[in-house]
Amino acid sequence: MGGVGEERRSLPPTSNDPVGLNAYLILAALVFSVGLAGVLTRRNAIGILLGIELMLNAVNINLAAFSRFGGDLTGVVFALFTIAITVAEMGVGLALVIAIFRARRTVEADRLDLLKG
Amino acid sequence: MSPFTLEAGLGVLLLVVFVAGLAARGSDRRWIGWLVLAGVAGLEALAFALSPVEPAPGAIFVQDGLALFAKRLFLAATLVGVLCGLAPAAGPFARRAAEYHLLLLSSLLGMLVLASARDVILLFVAFELMSIPLYVLAGFAKRDGTAVEAALKFFLVGSVSSAVMAYGLSFVYGAARTTALAGVARAASSGDPLLILGLLAALTGFGFKIAAFPFHMWVPDTYEAASTPFVAWLSVAPKAAGFVAIFRVYFEGTGAGAFWGPIVAALAAVTIVAGNLMALPQENAKRLLAYSGIAHIGYMLVGVAAASASGTAMVLFYLVAYVFGNMGAFLVVEAVARAEGSEHLGAFRGLAQRSPLLALAMLLFLLSLGGIPFVAGFWAKLYVFWAAASAGLYWLVLLGAILTVVALFYYLVVARRMYIDAPVHSGRIRLDPALTIAVLLCVLGVVALGLWPKPLVMAALRVAAPLY
Repeated sequence: MGGVGEERRSLPPTSNDPVGLNAYLILAALVFSVGLAGVLTRRNAIGILLGIELMLNAVNINLAAFSRFGGDLTGVVFALFTIAITVAEMGVGLALVIAIFRARRTVEADRLDLLKG
Repeated sequence: MSPFTLEAGLGVLLLVVFVAGLAARGSDRRWIGWLVLAGVAGLEALAFALSPVEPAPGAIFVQDGLALFAKRLFLAATLVGVLCGLAPAAGPFARRAAEYHLLLLSSLLGMLVLASARDVILLFVAFELMSIPLYVLAGFAKRDGTAVEAALKFFLVGSVSSAVMAYGLSFVYGAARTTALAGVARAASSGDPLLILGLLAALTGFGFKIAAFPFHMWVPDTYEAASTPFVAWLSVAPKAAGFVAIFRVYFEGTGAGAFWGPIVAALAAVTIVAGNLMALPQENAKRLLAYSGIAHIGYMLVGVAAASASGTAMVLFYLVAYVFGNMGAFLVVEAVARAEGSEHLGAFRGLAQRSPLLALAMLLFLLSLGGIPFVAGFWAKLYVFWAAASAGLYWLVLLGAILTVVALFYYLVVARRMYIDAPVHSGRIRLDPALTIAVLLCVLGVVALGLWPKPLVMAALRVAAPLY
């Protein structure tokens, strides 16, 4: 995780890559926006969870692209951690959705208007 | 001593609680709470016995003065939180005591690591380790529809903010080409727009976690629906951790007085105004404390906006005062709610005639939160304003001072209920011993800091100085 510059393994050169770094960043920004739009407009809790998942995947695209074009592996390690955290977070989220379904018999977020502010 | 001593100790305690949970039989497992209490008290003693370790160059995990100061505060808050969570005999808290304390301690472990993290990856992992158990704890009474709904709201807002923060941190990495905060600081001096974008997005994430104004929407609902002992802890410990993370990233990472100073000042201003004004019409004690807590976050952000060693030190002092004052107020709400079955402000009517000492304790906490002289909160507000004034933020000081008067109004409404209104029920409110000790600890903190703030101020100044 950083700190030891000399020992870092560098990746093969990317000068002949037909699409540049910006293309990946724009793709990530699009995925992030789609996810955010989903979070803000979905009425179903599962739909909101999917939106959050998309936002976190945009982070991974960013990290992988920066890692590839910057030529060091730290970003890939960061992405691995992000994936693990996403899984833990979604596990808790789905458990809460199941709990609320048992208590209320619905997962429609009809009273979840707090993200509209 | 290794810098990991406290974390290792907490890890052992987690394992012990886990095994105890497996071995426990019967429906009353509150003894696990006592085990946790002993463990946390031991760790707190250890934290005071440790001294800061000079960090190795390029270290990503440091046990410097700031980290140790923060860890002592987190452990103290957890000690009080565990104490007041011991009592409820019925319901899921007695039967599932092992799960409850495991989650609490996992979140605490995240906070301890967060206080020491000087690397973006470690910071993010610790932040999530702190946050994810909180969602579960908010919905711990899983048969209770409102608690689960509040937990889901908390989860959705929290994980969206985490995603925004992670997106920002990915740009920080991309621009700085390293995840070490020292490297980020070097890159920040060049003013790369990608890095600024990343740090701003990350600030949004931190803003959600400390519940600054535009990101505060989860607070009142979660506080109202979750169990009070947990809320007392939730309202102080993760917020303190959020502030320590902000110091790490924005002072140590990017150097003081950077582009974000005016943004934090604006955030502080709207948070103070919104928190105080929205607290005025509240009739539920927990919602009132939720909005007043948002206002307090605003006052602390005033100290952050000052972007100086004294500003940072005064925020640390404010955090300590806020831990004792705010937790104490929640504990009294819990005591009254256990006796009256209601968290409505009406339940406080005539408390002074029924339980004079409990009412006096509540009055002290309210005065501390309101910032009246000779209790802790007064010095906290004074010092934060003083730091902001010496940084030239006179408008912010004026605004904060005016809204302090507004805040006094709603705190004194509660005091009037206790001291002037006639009681509806008669008879003393019984406190169990654990809750009594917890309230006494908070009273002691509030009064001691109010009468003798100097040692803590000096300690805070000492740990804040190396950040600049």
